[in-house]
Amino acid sequence: MQAALEPFLTAHTNEDAWAVASLLSPIAPPSDPGRLYDFYRASNEHMIENDIRTALIYSRASRLEPSEGSAWSEIFVNYWKVVGQILRAEEATNQGRSRDRQWVDVFDAWKTLTNSLLKHLERGNIRSWTMICMYHAAKDLRKFAIKADEQLATAKGNVTFNSGFQDDVVTSIPRNEMLEEAARVLNRMFRMCLSDRNPDMRESRKWGTYFMASLLFKTYFKLKAISLSQSVVRSIEAMSDLPSFELYPKAHRVTYKYYVGVLAFLQEDYTKAEAYLTEAWEICYVGAKKNQQLILTYLIPCRLITKHAIPTPALLSPFPLLQSIFAPLVSCIKRGDLSGFDAALVAGENQFVKRRIYLTLERGRDIAQRNLLRKVFLAGGYEELKEGQTEADRIRKTRIPLANFGAALRMGMGMDGDGSGQALEDDEVECIVANMIYKVSAQRGAYKLSPFATLTHPPQSSQMSSVAVCLAQLRLP
Amino acid sequence: MSPRPPAYNAVPTRTTLARPTPLPHAAVSPSAAKQKVDWPQPVRDYVGRAFDPKNAIEGISVTDMQAKLKDVLQYFAERSMLEQLAWETYPLPQHLLQAERRAMSTRPLIATGPDFAGHAQLPHAYSAGAFTNNSSSSAQSAKKRKSTDTVEDVQPTPAEQTIQPSRKTNGASIQDRITYVSGHNDKRHKKNASTSKSNQLDLEKEKRRQRFQTDKIMPSGSSSRNDSDSEMMPVGPVVGTNTDLEKSYFRLTAPPKPETVRPLYILEKTLGFLKDKWRKENNYNYICNQFKSLRQDLTVQHIKNAFTVRVYELHARIALEKGDLGEYNQCQTQLRALYMLKLSGGHPEEFLAYRILYFVYTCNKTDMNDLLAELTPADKAQPAVRHALDVRSALALGNYHKFFRLYLAAPNMGMYLMDMFIERERLHALANISKAYMSVTLRFLTDELGFDSDGDCVDFLASHGAQDLIEEKVNDRDEPQHRVRVKQGVGLFESLRATAFSKVDIKGQI
Repeated sequence: MQAALEPFLTAHTNEDAWAVASLLSPIAPPSDPGRLYDFYRASNEHMIENDIRTALIYSRASRLEPSEGSAWSEIFVNYWKVVGQILRAEEATNQGRSRDRQWVDVFDAWKTLTNSLLKHLERGNIRSWTMICMYHAAKDLRKFAIKADEQLATAKGNVTFNSGFQDDVVTSIPRNEMLEEAARVLNRMFRMCLSDRNPDMRESRKWGTYFMASLLFKTYFKLKAISLSQSVVRSIEAMSDLPSFELYPKAHRVTYKYYVGVLAFLQEDYTKAEAYLTEAWEICYVGAKKNQQLILTYLIPCRLITKHAIPTPALLSPFPLLQSIFAPLVSCIKRGDLSGFDAALVAGENQFVKRRIYLTLERGRDIAQRNLLRKVFLAGGYEELKEGQTEADRIRKTRIPLANFGAALRMGMGMDGDGSGQALEDDEVECIVANMIYKVSAQRGAYKLSPFATLTHPPQSSQMSSVAVCLAQLRLP
Repeated sequence: MSPRPPAYNAVPTRTTLARPTPLPHAAVSPSAAKQKVDWPQPVRDYVGRAFDPKNAIEGISVTDMQAKLKDVLQYFAERSMLEQLAWETYPLPQHLLQAERRAMSTRPLIATGPDFAGHAQLPHAYSAGAFTNNSSSSAQSAKKRKSTDTVEDVQPTPAEQTIQPSRKTNGASIQDRITYVSGHNDKRHKKNASTSKSNQLDLEKEKRRQRFQTDKIMPSGSSSRNDSDSEMMPVGPVVGTNTDLEKSYFRLTAPPKPETVRPLYILEKTLGFLKDKWRKENNYNYICNQFKSLRQDLTVQHIKNAFTVRVYELHARIALEKGDLGEYNQCQTQLRALYMLKLSGGHPEEFLAYRILYFVYTCNKTDMNDLLAELTPADKAQPAVRHALDVRSALALGNYHKFFRLYLAAPNMGMYLMDMFIERERLHALANISKAYMSVTLRFLTDELGFDSDGDCVDFLASHGAQDLIEEKVNDRDEPQHRVRVKQGVGLFESLRATAFSKVDIKGQI
């Protein structure tokens, strides 16, 4: 045991947080694959407490303060226990005999370890640079919780039924009990970081705020408890004495901005979402392709709504996945190809729904529709020149028969609906155009609406049911 | 043993389910009786008293008594409970037999099967534990019972009675029969035969309980057992014995008493009864209350089968019809979980469609997205689901024309749900139209906004302060015509639309 803890004492003296964290890792380092096993075999249930206390407190090699020493002893005892659980669980899994609760046991043991780290950090028994260890422990806690839930789900099925005396049969549907449990621990860590009052900024735990917040978001998203994420954002925004955001590590900043951006996106606050996601995009490490891809997944639909902007092929090219899901939609929007757009949306539905962007992308149909109508307008040609007018004076026809729009909208739909199964009535054409006018006028700031943009009803003469929509100002994206 | 009357045939089957006890026939079998047991002194005294001539009862032969005695001793010996039992006060075998015989002849309210007469004294924890049996099997056997049941339904069958988990009056009722003349029982029997009210029953029992508090023969352990009753048995499902068709809903704050809970076969009758009543009287408050108690009874008995689904579906539909979204939501949540069990019957696609429409109503994008993620191609092929999805997409794209067509063509009770947001969407469409048109005919609005008649359309406009926009004009063909100058209502409709969308009343969110 003395030998096993030697690296810890060295790392601790050097204040090498990453080395300490790696010694508390649930996975053996590649250089020493048997580390967990050896560590566990170095002691036993009865001796472990004494062994570790001897090595950490009474050993001459140890330079730990007494309170620090006993804190680390407790942590390492808990670590030793969890290693035992992990070895047992892995052994069982390898042998193909998994009981119901092995990973739940691992999770519980790991939770104890995490809690002891949290407790001693909170009481100041261990130095705040060891927060790095807490980060790692928290990350692993989440992983073990997910694993435990998976095991529970296969063992129990999805629905929990009421066994008490409530009014209704079912108490809850699909649950992730362990992950919820983990979220509570993570939340306590987050609160501890956020509310640290240590005036010495070098020792402050406030530096952990954004890391823990991001981990919480990740967990809440998995739990589909998105509203809880909002309260995290609010409590950070309410905290006035946090160090300046720019001083935090870039990694923490990117993740935090990303999540707040996605949260705004889900709340349909696309302006805010765009701002946050753009910031995240700008400071994201260029080599982190996966993270960039995640940011773009939300930033692209966002800009589709806010700026009617579609991504360039150059932007998409480094990301094959994004290209495959967005490119068909984008080209249909550009062409004003409605049926193509619908088909692309259906084709990508599973992908979109999984990422929660389906309902946003669906709104891109408006842009495709507008582009189509604009094409009709352009195809309408020019008013005939009056006497004395030159080529320079000529203006486009501002009155366009409704039937022209109808024809355009029906393209690709099949004339009487047997193509895609839906006929387009004249009233519906009118409705779509009216809708277009409404939406364009709602964005008066961006686009000037011609005063002629009016439908008449009923059509004055059936031949020339004319409508003048000024779509000229609408620029193609 | 004397041959059993057919009414008791069900007892052995239920015994195996409810208590892991061997059948009494086995108990008297010679091999079991031969077992060497060291009888404690109180038991010896008990046996002595049983054979004491002054305790003999006329009409009960010594052989019968002996058989019963063996039976009783065997029962407790097998459970090593000889020590715990208060033998001083335990009824003698001849008393038990007497009670049994009277029970057979009169079939009183709480009849105790012959084999259980002696077991009423069991410490309660024991019998409660025996009821943690699988709920589905109990539900099943309950169902089975219904199909084979030939006894008049209003009266509990003996099988029903023997399995009550909390038989607080059980011991007492035996004493009752010993101490009181049989005329008393007959009276009670009559009362029971006519559909008695549950509170009446309770009153009766309470009276009886009080009587026995002072009774000398009362076993000492009994009164304390009565008190601890409620804490002892919160785990397993209750098996009801109540036979009333109607029952008012009360929120439970303690485990229910079996005598207030109705078993499945009664609940099935109740459902039919309620359906009739709903058709005839259409009294929502009454029906909702009744359905809640019905659901409660199903829950406490852990009944989860096609019937449960039927109850929830029916309640959900009635709640929808009356626009009670809170109650509807509760049912919907339950149904969702019940469908996951893949029980036979039910209409998952119908209620899936309702759920989509409900999210359209609440404008809950996150939940809607989650729901879309769950849909399988098979789900989407269902006409009702297809319709609901079309409604969603029509609204998402602002295609009000299509939306109102879909409104008029809603399958099942979709229209009731759509009624929840139809006004909001009408205002939205009006705001839309007012931007795009100068003026339209009233008929155009009526058609586009899915009104039944021009009159309804006028009422709608009037109720939103837009009656001034309606004017009477003559068209090109000199026919008088109502027109609506929508352009002048732009501001009005826009603000109406904004307020309509700002408040979505979410009750009991799914």
